[in-house]
Amino acid sequence: MIRRNESPMKLIRTTFLLAAGFLLLRNAGTSFAAAQSLEPAQLLHPAADSWPMYHGDYSGRRHSSLTQVNPENVQDLGLAWAFQTGQTAQIKSSPLLVDGILYFTVPDNIWAVDARSGHLIWHFNHPTTEGDHIGHRGVSMYKGWLFFTTPDAHLISLNAKDGTVRWDKIIADVKKGYWSTMAPLIVHDHVIAGVGGDLDNLPGLLRSFDPDTGAEQWEWDATSPTGTANSTTGGMTWITGTYDPELNLVYWGTGNPTPVLNGEARPGDDPWTCSIVAINPDTGKLVWGFSASPHDTHDWDAVEIPVLVDGMFQGQPRKMLMQSSRNGYFFVLDRTDGKSLLTVPFGPTNWASGIDKNGRPIPNSEKEPKPDGRLIAPDEGGMTNYRSPSFDPSTGLFIVDAHPSYSLYFTKPADGSYGWAGADYGLWGKGVIEAIDYQTGKIRWSHELGAGGSGAGVLTTDSGLTFTGDAEGNILALATSDGKTLWHAGTGSPMQTSPITYELDGRQYVVSGSGGVMFAWTLPKLSTGSGRASVTR
Amino acid sequence: MPDHKGSASAAGAAVYAGNCALCHGKDREGTPPAFPSLIGVKKKLTDEQIARMIHDGKPPMPPFPNLSKDQVDALISFLGTTPSAPPKRQQDSPLAARKGITLSPQAAAGDALFQQNCSFCHGRDAMGGESGPDLTRSKLVSSDTDGSKIAQVIREGRTSSDKRMPAFQLSSSEVAGLIAFIRARVAIAEASKGGRRGVDVSDLQTGNVELGRQYFNGAGGCAKCHSPTGDLAGVASRYEGLQLEERMLYPRNAKSTLTVTLPDGKMISGALAYRDEFTIALINGDGAYRSWPTDGVSYKIDSPVNAHVDLFGRYTDDDIHNLMAYIQTLH
Repeated sequence: MIRRNESPMKLIRTTFLLAAGFLLLRNAGTSFAAAQSLEPAQLLHPAADSWPMYHGDYSGRRHSSLTQVNPENVQDLGLAWAFQTGQTAQIKSSPLLVDGILYFTVPDNIWAVDARSGHLIWHFNHPTTEGDHIGHRGVSMYKGWLFFTTPDAHLISLNAKDGTVRWDKIIADVKKGYWSTMAPLIVHDHVIAGVGGDLDNLPGLLRSFDPDTGAEQWEWDATSPTGTANSTTGGMTWITGTYDPELNLVYWGTGNPTPVLNGEARPGDDPWTCSIVAINPDTGKLVWGFSASPHDTHDWDAVEIPVLVDGMFQGQPRKMLMQSSRNGYFFVLDRTDGKSLLTVPFGPTNWASGIDKNGRPIPNSEKEPKPDGRLIAPDEGGMTNYRSPSFDPSTGLFIVDAHPSYSLYFTKPADGSYGWAGADYGLWGKGVIEAIDYQTGKIRWSHELGAGGSGAGVLTTDSGLTFTGDAEGNILALATSDGKTLWHAGTGSPMQTSPITYELDGRQYVVSGSGGVMFAWTLPKLSTGSGRASVTR
Repeated sequence: MPDHKGSASAAGAAVYAGNCALCHGKDREGTPPAFPSLIGVKKKLTDEQIARMIHDGKPPMPPFPNLSKDQVDALISFLGTTPSAPPKRQQDSPLAARKGITLSPQAAAGDALFQQNCSFCHGRDAMGGESGPDLTRSKLVSSDTDGSKIAQVIREGRTSSDKRMPAFQLSSSEVAGLIAFIRARVAIAEASKGGRRGVDVSDLQTGNVELGRQYFNGAGGCAKCHSPTGDLAGVASRYEGLQLEERMLYPRNAKSTLTVTLPDGKMISGALAYRDEFTIALINGDGAYRSWPTDGVSYKIDSPVNAHVDLFGRYTDDDIHNLMAYIQTLH
């Protein structure tokens, strides 16, 4: 797959030049719109003083062009402020930053917080008594309105100025077993919302709403309806997708099939569960799909971020999609047609007997759950989970919080064919940040995070920094070039968010959440624009 | 499961209503942890133990020495029946609505809370799900007669590195509801004998003892650290089934030893208590905790348990089943 006569430096340079096109979009300067408003066009060109959607931009790379905090001065990074939610619910959301205000969530709650000071502007707190309260990933914004999904699978539109509710629509029926945790994706005049719901045999779905009226525009179903003979259900859509404006395609990862651990009732590949799908955002029609785990029996949702990168692959410029999937494989696809470019494991896996001609792992039937148990790598939480990886264009590294792990999987007739339909038990796991060379899948460096695993997301910046967290609750700044630790701070609880960064009043902030607290980190006030910071207080 | 409304239990129901229901609840659901549920009590205690407890009391429960033997017998007979709940409240219970199961009002309230907060990990029916164990087979649940251990786990969570459960801020009555729901699920699971979900001891009997012994002494390298007549003597009497197999594959509580060499050359050893990139800590023989910055000392960690991690990549499933068959002979 790799052209051996191509020099690595040349590849890196070419990658960088192509990536620079993307970066120009990112460096569009400060936003000029009226306060607390976000025009859809601004999502195409996010300003440095904003983080206007879940991934920061449509590409899902969680990479920033900001360079004020750099490997030379990051050791001076300190706390700007901490915001206490006062809740035991862990913050798992990626904050939005629009016009100096951060918006972040836990189930049933939104906080609007001044990004400069960390003080509360408003708090929305509407407890729901139905649905699953497992977590919440954040809000999205269109003009002056926020969009918030709820445990009982509603989509609520609120006034960003004060958190008052404008309308409340149903995404899917909570009585059937749906819930929602995700931050909707805004594309043009579409608010695209997904659902969770794999405790029951239900089809996953995406539903698009009119941002002004809340009227439904389209629905896409991941599978046939419940009860269709020999057909799977599942394919939940619980993490925000990405978008390519040029191809006008939305990319989404879908969750596991149901019944989860018993695959007998749903023979075949079970499309489009555990898949990456490309959907037209104006019609909701599927353009292509790729099964990351055909006939999954291990709960390995393929909802991890479909990261969009334009760059060289095998000496050719490509529009690529990369995913480090929960099943332990790193995929590179051509995102124009969904054809495989690269499939390689990024840690121990033992459940596939090979890779088929379309780049899909071939599930080994002997490694499906059995009455006497099967040893499976990775475990059910997977080689990675929903927190974001990051792609660094200048090094060509795809950096992911990996989770080498082993577990036992069981199923037997008494477990039935509804919902979980089996049992699995994690035996051992650890956390490792891995920097994957996207052209080969080789791991260029790795950084141990500790026993059990971390769960933190990853952010990279143009200055060569990688921000993430370890298993014990330290936020870490690593050198993107070699993974060495340059800075850390204990936060009291493992980071369960994916960090973001932005610049306000000439100062770069990095924001991360641990437990029920949101932290903003910045350098001491600078006397000069670059280099080592000098304190002026 | 149908109710058994014999005359003895009807008389027992009257005795219960007059003497016990105030604390243990109209439907025997209790208000744990103060007042335990009596649902399934006959599975935990013999008739003689129950009779003695009624006669003698068990603080804070008062004694009832004035109940006649007939009354006590009727009461015990009644305690063996399945409680029925007012049908009106069944609507409030999401799981009951799905499966047509009867729950007490308290358990139904607990069901609603369970579905919102617990079901993702433990499953809608508490029988296990994504990352959370089957609570109906939990040793902690079955050994927790007054609900205090379950309540503690709900309130404090599980924070060790391989058992992560968040803490929940719930009122005492909410916690009691959750406990009542879990107990009801235990009773239902235990009633479905023969076709029970989850991992039974009998499921794990597919291995070959002799091949397991060979693996233990040969390819597995187990004998390098373990002995069937030493540390593993009687291990199959202490653990069984899935718990034994999990311990065999990776003993979670295995200790590592940390030896720190201070700048003056002095060495200190103890059980490894904490470790990240920046700080290292041990607990010494006196139980005292000490920590150091990792860049200020040199240190060595001895973790024999890592041999178990090394085996994960080498086992076949047959190796595991054979080894399990052999380990189960070590009574």
